[in-house]
Amino acid sequence: MTNLPARMRRFFFILTICLFIFPDDSIYASEKTGDIKLPFGIRDYDIGAAANFSLKDIDGDSFELKSTKGHWVFLHFWASWCGPCRKEMPAIQLLADILQDESFEIIMINTAEDENTVFTFLAETNVELKCLMDADGQVTEAWKPRGLPTTFIINPQGEVKYQAIGGREWNRPEYVNFLRQLIADKRYY
Amino acid sequence: MLNFIPVLLVIANMQALQPVIIKTPELEIRFMPRTPNQMASFYEARGFPKDMVDVIKRQCYITVGITNNSEQRIWLDLSKWEFSAAGKPLEREHRDSWKQRWATMGMPLSKQSTFRWTLLPEALDYLPGEHEGGNILLPFTREPVSLTASFASGENKQGKQIIITTDKLYCAEDAQ
Repeated sequence: MTNLPARMRRFFFILTICLFIFPDDSIYASEKTGDIKLPFGIRDYDIGAAANFSLKDIDGDSFELKSTKGHWVFLHFWASWCGPCRKEMPAIQLLADILQDESFEIIMINTAEDENTVFTFLAETNVELKCLMDADGQVTEAWKPRGLPTTFIINPQGEVKYQAIGGREWNRPEYVNFLRQLIADKRYY
Repeated sequence: MLNFIPVLLVIANMQALQPVIIKTPELEIRFMPRTPNQMASFYEARGFPKDMVDVIKRQCYITVGITNNSEQRIWLDLSKWEFSAAGKPLEREHRDSWKQRWATMGMPLSKQSTFRWTLLPEALDYLPGEHEGGNILLPFTREPVSLTASFASGENKQGKQIIITTDKLYCAEDAQ
């Protein structure tokens, strides 16, 4: 190294400094482009403004999606007859517990089942999440989730940003960290 | 005891059903034929009207599971799946066609919706490692069913075209 010309030594010195500053590709990408590395099964789904809807929850209270503006929303379509939906439900509850103090809201939409079926299912699975009843399935149809379960992630400005089709272990560190990165991203507030 | 005999017959027949599994370096596709009684039980348990169940029981019902084992995105497009039996095309009914049929019959919207969510999507992109599935419905036939299916690959569908073929599919029947 000592025999190298001064310009080349300077080049290696700067390169070494850069490697220390940006040791992780995902962080580098995030700082450089604003993109966040997506964990397995999460896809970019930048379709613009989230279509508003109004539904009643399982207690009969009305809910409008536009009321969630200002924080990230995890909008999840499911049905109790769908195996992957049943399997991932405890993981969503754990995710809700982990992120309960963050600017993040989980909204579950049950697709076309009756109240008794949903009530019994949630009781059996020990899930305490806000569950909206899409009794005739028409909100689900309008959102076109392409399959059940499907999750849409909506930013604080009310724009759909990401989609996950199929069940995920949402309480795993890669998903929690991904969501925490989103929540911490000041560009969206 | 007599009440158990039909159940035992159904179970005996179910045990005879075998999936058809196709593997390529990129994809694994599993086809599992379902009998009319299996499907009727599924939908009856979800409160489907008898008229809907009667129509469903007359179809050839196959549950399809697709896994992307490659490192790139793979695109399902059911319009590029061609079924045939005894040398003649076997037309799969599109989900929009089912929607129209149920609407014409005046079936409840909630049941129409649930029915559609049990179908394999008409189009879907599979990320590396992803597995998704659903059902396809064909006109019932006792002949072996052939399939040629084509998948695009790559981010913009410009990668290698993946073609799978089989002549081993079949429509499942309940034991008489």
